Amino acid sequence: MISAALFGQTRRAILALLYSHPEQSYYLRHLVRSAGVGLGAAQREVNRLSDAGIIRRTVSGNQVFYQANPECPVFGDLKGLMVKTAGVADVLRAALAPLAAQIRLAFIYGSVAKLAQRNGSDVDLMIVGQPTFGEIVSALGPAQETLAREINPTVYSPAEFRSKLKAGHHFVSAVIGGVKVFLIGDERELRRLGAKRLGKPASEHW
Amino acid sequence: MSFEDWVRNGWASQHQSTGEEIEKLLALADRDLASCATAGLATDWRFAIAYNAALQSATAALAAAGYRASHEAHHHRVIQSLAFTIGAGRELIRRFDAFRKKRNMSSYEMGGTISEKEAGEMAAFAAHLRQQVERWIREKHREFKL
Repeated sequence: MISAALFGQTRRAILALLYSHPEQSYYLRHLVRSAGVGLGAAQREVNRLSDAGIIRRTVSGNQVFYQANPECPVFGDLKGLMVKTAGVADVLRAALAPLAAQIRLAFIYGSVAKLAQRNGSDVDLMIVGQPTFGEIVSALGPAQETLAREINPTVYSPAEFRSKLKAGHHFVSAVIGGVKVFLIGDERELRRLGAKRLGKPASEHW
Repeated sequence: MSFEDWVRNGWASQHQSTGEEIEKLLALADRDLASCATAGLATDWRFAIAYNAALQSATAALAAAGYRASHEAHHHRVIQSLAFTIGAGRELIRRFDAFRKKRNMSSYEMGGTISEKEAGEMAAFAAHLRQQVERWIREKHREFKL
């Protein structure tokens, strides 16, 4: 996993939590519990991250809060990195893993892909492959609980997806033309399924 | 959770049903199951009709059990009540509830969000549920003489 190679476990967990919920501030114990890390290690990490200006430390009464720092020059990049590698995408990728062999393409679209999400935005998911809608819903059930977000999958068979693309179906075209975060497959696979015009990769917006 | 808790929470009220009412609900489910098989229907519409059939079946089971769901979050409650009526498992209810959300999205947000595959699954689900509900009422609620 990319973020596991880039960051140590504790730093990754803290960054993933804070940058996946940038509007929320956490006190240390909350952070420790939510990220599932040790107290001592978490304390050292938040000190280093706030010294570097990557996270913001605020004191209110005798409580200290930590939050992603929107003034950090790499705020947008880090947020993108976390969503792509350690946040929602990571959780969904893991949830779909048991069905991955039967899935040609799976990607997030809509507000989560655009990073415009407010707390609690639904996650819109497009899936092209053999599994049924029911199988996908079952596989995503635990992820929905982990993320505390509604996940809205749309499941197409490759044949139907191909024919909708060819016919210029408005929903499929709008989704393909919009921002996407790939979970399974990539732009190449999308072209193989018949997409001519390439949509915007999510990174252009980050 | 039980229906007593539901009544206490205001999620359902007690309701004295009749064989006639239950037959009417099941007939509505049959009508919708037949309608959604009509050739040439738009996918979203076919999905919505099949969803309605499934909801009627679940409502019939709830009525047979002696309850009616509240107006607030009505569909959600009717779906969840299948755990107490036909003894539906978590997976069945999760699936039905996902269909409900899909229907809401397609009717209020954006058209065309439903695939043919999903509409087909919704119809198969509704047909199966229709049979399960009737079997359950025949077994557990003979008083309605279905």
